[in-house]
Amino acid sequence: MAHMANPLATPDQLFQRRSYGSLPIELQDTIFFATQCLTQAAGLLLQLPQSVTAQANVLLARYWLVESMMSHEFSDTSAAILYLTAKLSPHPRSPRDICNVYSYLVTRPTTALFHSPTAPPPPPHDPASPSPPYYRSESAYQAFHTRLLTLEARALHALAFDTHVALPHALAVTYLQALDFLGRGAKDGPNGLGARAVAYLNTALLSPQMLYLTSQPNALAVAAVYNAARDVGAKMPECEWWEVFDVEREELGFLVVGMRSVEGWGAVMREDLRGMGVERGMVTRGDVEAELGRRGLVVGGNGSNGVDPEEEMARRMDEKMAEMEADV
Amino acid sequence: MSILDSGKPAAAASPRSFAVAHLRPRNSFTGCSRITDYEVLGKLGEGTFGEVHRARSKKTGALVALKKIIMHNEKDGFPITALREIKLLKLLSHVNVLRLEEMAVEHPTRSSKFTSHGTAVATTDKRKKPIMYMVTPYMDHDLSGLLDNPSVHFTEPQIKCYMLQLLEGLKYLHENHILHRDMKAANLLIDNKGILQIADFGLARHYEGEVPKPGKGGGEGRRDYTSLVVTRWYRPPELLMHLKRYTTAIDMWGVGCVFGEMLVGKPILAGESDGHQLEIIFELCGTPTDENMPGWRSLPGAEALQPRPRQGNLSQRFREYGSGAVSLLRELLRLDWRSRVNAIDALKHPYFQTTPLPAKPHELPSFEESHELDRRKFHDRRAALPPAPKGGTVGRGPHDGPNASFSSDGFGSRNGVNSGRYPRGSRGPEERVPAWHRDRGLPPRPPPPSDPDHPDGYRDRGGGRPRGGGGGRQDVDTYIPSYDRDAPRRDDRRRRDDRDDRRHDWDRRRDYDDRARTSRTRSRSRSPVVRDRERDRERDRDRDRDRDPYRR
Repeated sequence: MAHMANPLATPDQLFQRRSYGSLPIELQDTIFFATQCLTQAAGLLLQLPQSVTAQANVLLARYWLVESMMSHEFSDTSAAILYLTAKLSPHPRSPRDICNVYSYLVTRPTTALFHSPTAPPPPPHDPASPSPPYYRSESAYQAFHTRLLTLEARALHALAFDTHVALPHALAVTYLQALDFLGRGAKDGPNGLGARAVAYLNTALLSPQMLYLTSQPNALAVAAVYNAARDVGAKMPECEWWEVFDVEREELGFLVVGMRSVEGWGAVMREDLRGMGVERGMVTRGDVEAELGRRGLVVGGNGSNGVDPEEEMARRMDEKMAEMEADV
Repeated sequence: MSILDSGKPAAAASPRSFAVAHLRPRNSFTGCSRITDYEVLGKLGEGTFGEVHRARSKKTGALVALKKIIMHNEKDGFPITALREIKLLKLLSHVNVLRLEEMAVEHPTRSSKFTSHGTAVATTDKRKKPIMYMVTPYMDHDLSGLLDNPSVHFTEPQIKCYMLQLLEGLKYLHENHILHRDMKAANLLIDNKGILQIADFGLARHYEGEVPKPGKGGGEGRRDYTSLVVTRWYRPPELLMHLKRYTTAIDMWGVGCVFGEMLVGKPILAGESDGHQLEIIFELCGTPTDENMPGWRSLPGAEALQPRPRQGNLSQRFREYGSGAVSLLRELLRLDWRSRVNAIDALKHPYFQTTPLPAKPHELPSFEESHELDRRKFHDRRAALPPAPKGGTVGRGPHDGPNASFSSDGFGSRNGVNSGRYPRGSRGPEERVPAWHRDRGLPPRPPPPSDPDHPDGYRDRGGGRPRGGGGGRQDVDTYIPSYDRDAPRRDDRRRRDDRDDRRHDWDRRRDYDDRARTSRTRSRSRSPVVRDRERDRERDRDRDRDRDPYRR
């Protein structure tokens, strides 16, 4: 049934994305990660349910699969996709709300959402110093509004108006129930099985591997359940239980590794952001261009310097995989 | 057991080989096609729902209909109604549900080009926005237009065939948690292969209650929705009494109305206002009691009702169509929405198992296609039309134009009042009366969702924009033609209708009407000739007003 399935990325698209936009892969990943975090932060401040924000994350990933990242400011893209997703949901948000929230997020000097939770909290704002420009003038709002709608139309066009996103969260809970993990006496709280499974699913939204574009919700849900059960040491059935949920062992293995690796990736991403000298919370196109300049790469040129991008990408994916295997 | 440390490690498959092994069809994320992929063959119609063109796909050679999406509220970006309709249609796949092939984009001659940094280019190029089209298969007729065609007469096997297809389509929709909310003959498309498809999901929404179960009718509603849905003539009594917690049974009432319409040849419940609609429903089905409509007294719209107790004349009125038809109609037109038959059970009704048996779609006769623009040759006739009633053309903006145009003709007109795919705002005389000041007479089609701040209830907003419509119409319009019998109809789908034939065959048509009228108990004492003329005039006027705003 179409309701429970998602359109997926073709391998071609995944390869091409890596060669588009002339950005080195790690920069693409950094941008992807930072923008997805921004979307999540905006969703929180806009008081959107996670079901809406998560859909926006998936749509954003789909959009960037077919459109160059550098064609628009990253925060604008995030805002437009979130606006569109909220509009389609039972919780629409006005462009002005979106504008305010994004203004706040991109100008805030340090936003905990982008930085390691273990990092020291930002110093409290000194009331004596001039307040940072969280507000936007009316003309700035109008400009934002125009960009928002332009990008919305562009996103719809790129996605062929396919705005349906099936999320795996509810499925994961159903699977846990089916496996009899949520009965009486089940441990709940942040370390409970259900909470961990959902946490894996939410974390996977940020993964530059774009797990939500390569796997159907049932596979994601099974992988999250698998990981959660592993973490809390829950006893799983001895048989190949994932087959009951229509997931193949190979795909499950890929997803399990992919989901477990996001945390490590995240730390690297945050380092990268710091390395790029991103002072504010959110990386901008300017930052990326400056970084490219430092590396001696020209925007618009072929960043991979003659190496077949497909080869390069495959090599990197295999390398990463090997790393993860070593870690686990 | 673990897949991570087992003998056959997942690493055996690199991500690349995994990706290769899982090649997906390329139809995901392909974006929209361009209008240049289609050879536009001409306009099929234009009206409240926007322009519809017939076209041929250069890729597949298939005939398609291109429906232009009206951008009405630029402030909020792409219209939410269109987005929802597209989203729903993309999720559906059933032979009896109109398929959305894809979206096509038309870039204006100098399309707004994006530089790698420049949104600026796009912002300065406001007037040249790309135009979006919905691409659906081309269907030759809609049921409404077909019934209006005097040269078309449905046989019983044919009616059964269409009914089966309609019920199959609706069963599929309800199974998939979708309320159509605008069931009517004009929204049922028929092609020359005898296939019927449900179209127009502009009012459809996700249904959160339990899906219908065999033998359980519509079940109980689980949450509130707006009761401002469904074209009046097809609106069930519970909606007319403002039940908010309604169920899939509202679509089944519409099926009953369509069924009756196919039998009789014209709408069977053509109410002139919401109050009158209830009145004629009671006349047909009997007045509500605690037995036949439990809980009706507690509905908000029932407080002021003091219907004169009646039995209902359904069986007399439809006697000539046989007991099977009467029995099915009675099931579909039950006042009690909880026990009204659902699509699953209706499909098993004995009516479909008794002779004459339903025809197979391919056995049905095909009809000559026809559509709106042929009627242009009648332009000269319009010159002598009476002026539109007061307020008829008062519009508040480009997208209000078409709406404003039809309110004042009173009621019953199928034209715009009921039909626009993208809902409308104000109309005519009552323009400045906020909706909440009127407790009845809402327009048959609800207003568009205008602001995104209303959680979910994209149609649940009670006010905020003036909503014209039936309320107080009688006060406004002193000239009330009585075309309850056969209102100017079908304009809502006029790209598929058959007005010319009707016109040429008008005399024939009248015979047809007269025959049909004898089966109606309610009739007025005007002479048919006068009424025909009025009706004719009325229709032309409607059509004029309907169309003109789009010529701007």
